[in-house]
Amino acid sequence: MKRLAAKITKWFPAEAVYAHCDGPCGVYDPASARIAAEAVLSMTKKLIALEGDNSLAAENSKSRYIAIKEEQAHLAKTELLVLWTDYFKPVHLEKYPNLHDTFWKAAKLCSAVKVEVSLEHAQELMAAIEEIHNIFWATKGRDVPYYTAS
Amino acid sequence: MLDAIPEHNNREFWLWLLRRRRRMRVVEESMVPTLLAGDEILFDPRAYDRIRPKPGDVVVAYHPDHPELKLVKRVLTVHEDGRCELISDNPDVGIDSRHFGPVSAELILGRVTSRFG
Repeated sequence: MKRLAAKITKWFPAEAVYAHCDGPCGVYDPASARIAAEAVLSMTKKLIALEGDNSLAAENSKSRYIAIKEEQAHLAKTELLVLWTDYFKPVHLEKYPNLHDTFWKAAKLCSAVKVEVSLEHAQELMAAIEEIHNIFWATKGRDVPYYTAS
Repeated sequence: MLDAIPEHNNREFWLWLLRRRRRMRVVEESMVPTLLAGDEILFDPRAYDRIRPKPGDVVVAYHPDHPELKLVKRVLTVHEDGRCELISDNPDVGIDSRHFGPVSAELILGRVTSRFG
């Protein structure tokens, strides 16, 4: 009977009833971290494309890309930490036991992409943020598809 | 201590099949930790045909200012005239009678009896 009920809720979700909330619930969104991480990924690609070009114009572009990458990697980390420490509650951890591990690894990836020029780590960071996006919206009972700007 | 909502049992399941229970899906977080967003619940639409709601009951009710919006809240107090003060189990974030005032009896749709699924 329990399994049948679980299948029913999965296939035929019931009408919504609102455990209605004030602003504090609505102001969190993993999108801010995702945008910063996308900027890091974009800067990383641009830096790799300029590898070996030592012209003045290229050096100038590289230093600008590096500055943006530093700043956005730090921003992504800040946004993730706010989400982790302010939004998520112990009840969420019970339902998503890998929550702490996911955030910890994502925060570490923010540090890695800041220090390095690593396409691999920038992509891993994007994947971690997608996972956080999915957990976040599941805790709100809403189906919000993940997307990227680029 | 706020009373938890039990998991549904076979009786609740049958009552649902017989349309004596209605199923709803919780959205948003004002009833955490009792109900999480995404939880499904069963409520008894006839619960208050003969008796009044009592403090501690978790109820489904229409939002008095937005009749299209159904709310799940807990009864805090019941006035002489039958109007109920509804409160959120997570009062730091919830919108309830502190904001929209007491809710008249006819806006209360029923009592939540179990969690489903």
